[in-house]
Amino acid sequence: MEEKSKVKKEGKKLQILVCTLIAILIALIAIFGVYTKKQNRMENNIKGYDYAMDLKGTRIVTLTPSTETETIIKDQSGNEVEDAENLTDEELTEKGYTKEEKSKNSEDVLTQDNYTKTKEIIEKRLKGLNVENYIINVNNQTGEITIELPENDQTDNIVNNIATTGKFEIVDSETKELLMDNNDIKSSQVMYGSTSTGTAVYLDIKFNKSGTEKFENITETYVNNVSENTNATDTDAENQTNTTNEANQTDTENETNQTENETSDTNSTEENQTSEEETAKQITMSIDDEEMMTTYFEEVIKNGDMPLTIGSATKDQKTLNEYIQNASNIAVVLDNGKLPIEYNVTRNEYVLSDITRDELQYVKYGIIIAVAICLLILIFKYKTNGFLASLGYIILSAIYALIIRYTNVMISIEGIFGIALTLIINYIFIYKLLAKIKEYNKDEKLKGTVLKKAIKENYKEIFLKIIPICIMSIVFCFVSWVPISSFGMTTFWGILLIAIINILVTNNLLKLKNK
Amino acid sequence: MKSKKKLIIYILIVAIIIAGIAVTIISGFNFDLKYQDAKRIELGIGKQVNEDEIRQIAKEVLGENTPIVLQKIEVFEDAVSIMAKDITEEQRDNIVSKVNEKYGIELTTDDVPIITVAHTRGRDIIKPYVIPFSTATLIILVYMMIRYYKQGSLKVLAKTLGFVVLMQAVLFSIMAITRIPIGRLTIPLVLTVYILTLIGCTSHFEKSLKNAEVVKNEE
Repeated sequence: MEEKSKVKKEGKKLQILVCTLIAILIALIAIFGVYTKKQNRMENNIKGYDYAMDLKGTRIVTLTPSTETETIIKDQSGNEVEDAENLTDEELTEKGYTKEEKSKNSEDVLTQDNYTKTKEIIEKRLKGLNVENYIINVNNQTGEITIELPENDQTDNIVNNIATTGKFEIVDSETKELLMDNNDIKSSQVMYGSTSTGTAVYLDIKFNKSGTEKFENITETYVNNVSENTNATDTDAENQTNTTNEANQTDTENETNQTENETSDTNSTEENQTSEEETAKQITMSIDDEEMMTTYFEEVIKNGDMPLTIGSATKDQKTLNEYIQNASNIAVVLDNGKLPIEYNVTRNEYVLSDITRDELQYVKYGIIIAVAICLLILIFKYKTNGFLASLGYIILSAIYALIIRYTNVMISIEGIFGIALTLIINYIFIYKLLAKIKEYNKDEKLKGTVLKKAIKENYKEIFLKIIPICIMSIVFCFVSWVPISSFGMTTFWGILLIAIINILVTNNLLKLKNK
Repeated sequence: MKSKKKLIIYILIVAIIIAGIAVTIISGFNFDLKYQDAKRIELGIGKQVNEDEIRQIAKEVLGENTPIVLQKIEVFEDAVSIMAKDITEEQRDNIVSKVNEKYGIELTTDDVPIITVAHTRGRDIIKPYVIPFSTATLIILVYMMIRYYKQGSLKVLAKTLGFVVLMQAVLFSIMAITRIPIGRLTIPLVLTVYILTLIGCTSHFEKSLKNAEVVKNEE
């Protein structure tokens, strides 16, 4: 009988030893990682932490009101003359034309109101581009706008879009008379359509009430009534449900129609059109003075919808994604109006956080030391139970460190606070549990059920108190502002682990002593 | 005795809030340098920068106690940005010459313009936190009202909401009075107070619930 008890005791010791080794192993993996040799250098196989903007660094973009000037040519009566750029100085003098330098941003647009309006439009564009994490400020004296953005694959694209003025114009292709502008746009959205040659991407521009009327008038005026012009070479457009309102035109794939952002239009007219077509009145649509297309209309459009094909129909997913991206970018810019001031990007650089990696290491080791001290107190006060609970604590902390790495939680300062909060809650949990075990052990009636009762009551007591924190962490997990979501996610995973690990690990470890 | 203690605490809280409001009206909050109007210079050194060396130079020139923000620029970390409340041309020239001397480079003052950095508005700093905190508080209040309905849902609502608002007001009043800058540690502080307040509320209501049950059992 005595021998059996001795064996049982030794078995328990062995179990405790194994658990200790496992705890140490997991802790070492979580703190230092697992290194293997790869191409003559040691590489950590454990994923690193993802740091947020405040701990990693940001792209800082500064937009400054343009000070550039443009040359305009005026006739003797002071009217601006179009298409005179190619004339020599002598020819200009001969015709009585004069050259003038005009600032792109006149004095009267450089106002505080316009600076604020620009900031608001940029914020709307950022929202449209799904950028929620940014810091923006405007210098009300100079109009300079500084934006801090997270650095990722999309940053360059975002910078391009926020710096764009977004001037939308439909003009008469010959007289350059302004027919429509940004004020006529209600909204724009990206649409798709299947064709025999693949998927086509459309940018559907919807006009507002006055825009719809204007557009109807334009389609009346610029409608093509010459029968010969129906010799369209591209059947793609015909297959599109979204282009039924538009005139059948020549092939979109003509490269001259493609703008820098690869926007082209199926309805562009080309040189190979018949002479009859050349006589038809046409409109030119441009964004930021960049000609997107020149076209005319087959019929009168009354619904205020102008679908534009972006690129050509394709089956290639990569190309399609590019078209979608381009269309989305244009839609975001058009949807939020044009900037009242023309801006130039004067600074676009990646700036590291002023919190260095060394400082982060100090925080990490500071937390480890604090935890070690607290666990020593626990061991000192509750002896074997304290030691076993500490093992559970170490295992939980190590698994927690690994989980927040593999669940792609972005660590911000608030996230570090969430980690600290989890460690504190778990410590309180364990401390209270041990206190209860000690208290119940004094009660003879509870012999044999001490641990079960202590665990049950501790869970009830702690979790009833932290339910509001659980609610808060879940709500914060769904927030796109990283500092808040970082706190939410670290706390969520922390509380979940406290609930699971303490019942699976700490409880079983304490059974070794208290069963 | 207990009510006297309570009264003192209430008076103290009211005094802190009034003082906080007064300080905020008179001189506003003290914002971290990152959010203030500031001046910045960028030094393209072209070599791996030692932050401590640059910080030392900046402190020598700008003053030992002047708060500065030092950040490395671009992936090669061969340039550095120094931000301070104010950087005069003379100070810029001094920094440039000292950096030239230290790194054996020939930066000219023309290469290092003084850039004015505009402040970030307080409301822009707060904006991203308003909806998450409001949503979380709303759901928590609903939970509290349901969980502790025996103590009167409206009473629970008023107590919890009042306590949360009061404690945040005390926190911001203390920050205004002590001139603790509004910066990167503000939200962790707000969260700490918020969490402690919620735990305080649940503990209080749980205790009341327990007491009520004991009384009921005794009856």
